[in-house]
Amino acid sequence: MSETTLGGIAGRMPKFLRRADPAVVTAFACIVILLLLGSLYSRSFLSPEYLLQQLKVASFLGVIATGMMLVILLGQIDLSVPWSVATGAMMACAAAAYGPVGVALAIPFGVLCGVAIGLVNGIGVAYLRIPSMIITLATNAVAQGLMVVYTGGFSPQDSATAAMRYLATGFTIPGVPNAVIIWALIGAAMVFVLTRTSFGRAVYGIGNRERAAYLSGIDTRRIVLIAFAVSGGLSAFGGVLLAGYASKAAQSMGDAYLLPSIAAVVLGGTSILGGRGSYLGTVAGVILITLLQSILSVMQMPEAGRQIIYGVVIVAMLLLYGRAPASR
Amino acid sequence: MDGAAPLFRMEGISKRYGGVRALEKADLTVTAGGIHAILGENGAGKSTLIKVMAGVVAPDEGTMTLDGREVSFASPAAANQAGIVCIFQELSLIPELSVADNIVISDPPKRFGMIDRKAQRRIAEEALARAGASDIHPCALVKDLPLSRRQMVEIAKALARKPRILILDEATSALTAADVAKVFEVLKRLRSEGLALLYISHRMNEIAELADHCTVFRNGRNVASYPAGSKSDNEVVELMIGREYSHIFPPKPGPTAAATTVLEARNLSWADRLDNISLSVKAGEVVGLGGLDGQGQRELLLAFFGVLRGLSGEILIDGKPVSIASPTAASHGRIGMALIPEDRKTEGLMLPMTVRENLSFAALDRLSKGGIIDRAAEQRLIDDMVGLLAIKTAGLDIPVGALSGGNQQKVVIAKWLMRQPRIILLNDPTRGIDVGTKQELYQLMRKLADAGAAILFYSTDYDELIGCCDRVLVLYDGAVKRELVGAEITEHALIASALNIHGEGAGPKQGVGA
Repeated sequence: MSETTLGGIAGRMPKFLRRADPAVVTAFACIVILLLLGSLYSRSFLSPEYLLQQLKVASFLGVIATGMMLVILLGQIDLSVPWSVATGAMMACAAAAYGPVGVALAIPFGVLCGVAIGLVNGIGVAYLRIPSMIITLATNAVAQGLMVVYTGGFSPQDSATAAMRYLATGFTIPGVPNAVIIWALIGAAMVFVLTRTSFGRAVYGIGNRERAAYLSGIDTRRIVLIAFAVSGGLSAFGGVLLAGYASKAAQSMGDAYLLPSIAAVVLGGTSILGGRGSYLGTVAGVILITLLQSILSVMQMPEAGRQIIYGVVIVAMLLLYGRAPASR
Repeated sequence: MDGAAPLFRMEGISKRYGGVRALEKADLTVTAGGIHAILGENGAGKSTLIKVMAGVVAPDEGTMTLDGREVSFASPAAANQAGIVCIFQELSLIPELSVADNIVISDPPKRFGMIDRKAQRRIAEEALARAGASDIHPCALVKDLPLSRRQMVEIAKALARKPRILILDEATSALTAADVAKVFEVLKRLRSEGLALLYISHRMNEIAELADHCTVFRNGRNVASYPAGSKSDNEVVELMIGREYSHIFPPKPGPTAAATTVLEARNLSWADRLDNISLSVKAGEVVGLGGLDGQGQRELLLAFFGVLRGLSGEILIDGKPVSIASPTAASHGRIGMALIPEDRKTEGLMLPMTVRENLSFAALDRLSKGGIIDRAAEQRLIDDMVGLLAIKTAGLDIPVGALSGGNQQKVVIAKWLMRQPRIILLNDPTRGIDVGTKQELYQLMRKLADAGAAILFYSTDYDELIGCCDRVLVLYDGAVKRELVGAEITEHALIASALNIHGEGAGPKQGVGA
């Protein structure tokens, strides 16, 4: 019944909407519903200041989820996000302590540390054929150990450089936070890579059927390696931005980004089995998750209740559209 | 079977997938104790028809009656319950489980709530014996069996469900000639026991041998129904493709001595599957690989394509030794090799991806500059290929999985032709595709050879080897046992050397379906 009405509506919609993935449309619809529900609680949920603030908070998750999406499109997963984020943040701050050269190289150094973690993941998955769930969990633990050794288990004393703070909190264009611009740039680059480059095609191909991709002459191992390196690098860059936002790095600052980054990608309609999904969906997923977290905290829900509602809502939304339509 | 009340009848069955009409008011009547053959090109609606019968797909309209009562099946299990069991083209066995586990998988015998392994084994043995495959051990793991044996297990699994109507969809396409003969005996016995059998095959000789009654489908409708043997092969094929039909195989140009050797192997060995294979293929030559199924032909093709690790021996391209470490190395650069793999659904295509993405997938490096795809060049080349191979598709941006089997296979071949390969390896490319498309592929193959490609062609169908190849190498147990050239390539010679009995007349008696 709903199918026919949907079809009727779809027939009258503009072309780009008709072609859109129903999951992406659902995600955007959920954002609107969340905002409307929030506005019943307080008018300020619809104010431009609040929305811009949410977009800024979302951009950190957005950068991290971009890398996660690439890996999920391959049919893999990257569980090393928490400590890739923390490593990026801590190493960037640590570099800042080494004079002007260190300050200048802080951001690339932090990102490179994340790329290194990603390379280890990629080598493990692509060349050693270790399941990504295992190898990324292991590198996450190793990265955590290394950071604890480095910091002695306390919050590191080094603070973020001015450049990091500017990237995370400054305004190049009046009214638009830099973090949002950065996310937009990274997102645009990702859309280009996924839709217009042979690398992007190969990613979708491997995610759908690795064997067929391999027999088509694609160097599947190289593609997987690059994807994990990019994911590690983007996680670390997210950490750099977070450190700039908070002025310094902190222990387990990345822990809050593992589930949200996976959830954002999957809520955005990307198949957790790989091979299917669009970046627009990930954008929707990131905003959806950020709004959900924000609204729950504004409502002053106790932490425990927040976690429960958060988890239940994710499962409910996945049930809403996360399943393939019946093939009969 | 005339006069018998129909056991099962379908009337006015229609089914659409999106905008594609798979079935349009199709009718079918099945009588007990008869073998009913269904013929038609791929995409003619045969598969959809039996999916409707077997409860896999729900029809949009139409009625089905069983024993005069109207029925509808909500699921394959419901159809099984009613006595309709289908053996599908795609194997449905679980590789990690044993043969016995697979046979009773939907309804295992239980004792105190646990699976009764003794009873299970007994059922499996009975079913295997009924399927004429008592040589398969019920405790063997399915993944250890070759494809043709798995198909026998599939048949046993269907028989274990005690069907009244048994549907075989291309069930013999993976079988060796000896197995086909066994299956035929089984099917004839089942017919005499009063079962109704629906038999779908692209092999005309099988249908001529087996069927009592034939129905031809075209474009989703049943266009003709007639008692077996009342029409000539040519008439039937014309009914199927709806046009005149002549010369399945293009003429062979005859030996040309001047051509240079492009692909050569010296003493290739791999594990215990390939044994000291030496061969050479010249430009413009179609060389066939014959022999029974699973004698190392597939491994040989994979070895050339750089897939196998630990290969010993030498591969020479243009007379120079090369080491081919991966399909990437094999297809790129100077070597220019292409492999049309055995299973188009898992090895050749990414089914959910679009026709466009699949077509350009193997040639991405050629279509892109600095990693960025040149969309105009891509479109040009794709248009060329769709035209050249006459690929029938509702558009380039629909999933390739929505195409019919024959057109899917054309996409697999087209995606490699986009690289303009010099060496083309074909692994049983016509398996499960219709006569019309087969004919087009034979002609294409010859055209490519005439344009200078070196072609190595493995087929399980002897007629194809005879009709297409300049030379045929017959493999047995991983080694080349015999080379047949030109007029030597006959069905008799192929079968005799495949069984490795040439010369001595006292070979094992194999009932080979002629």
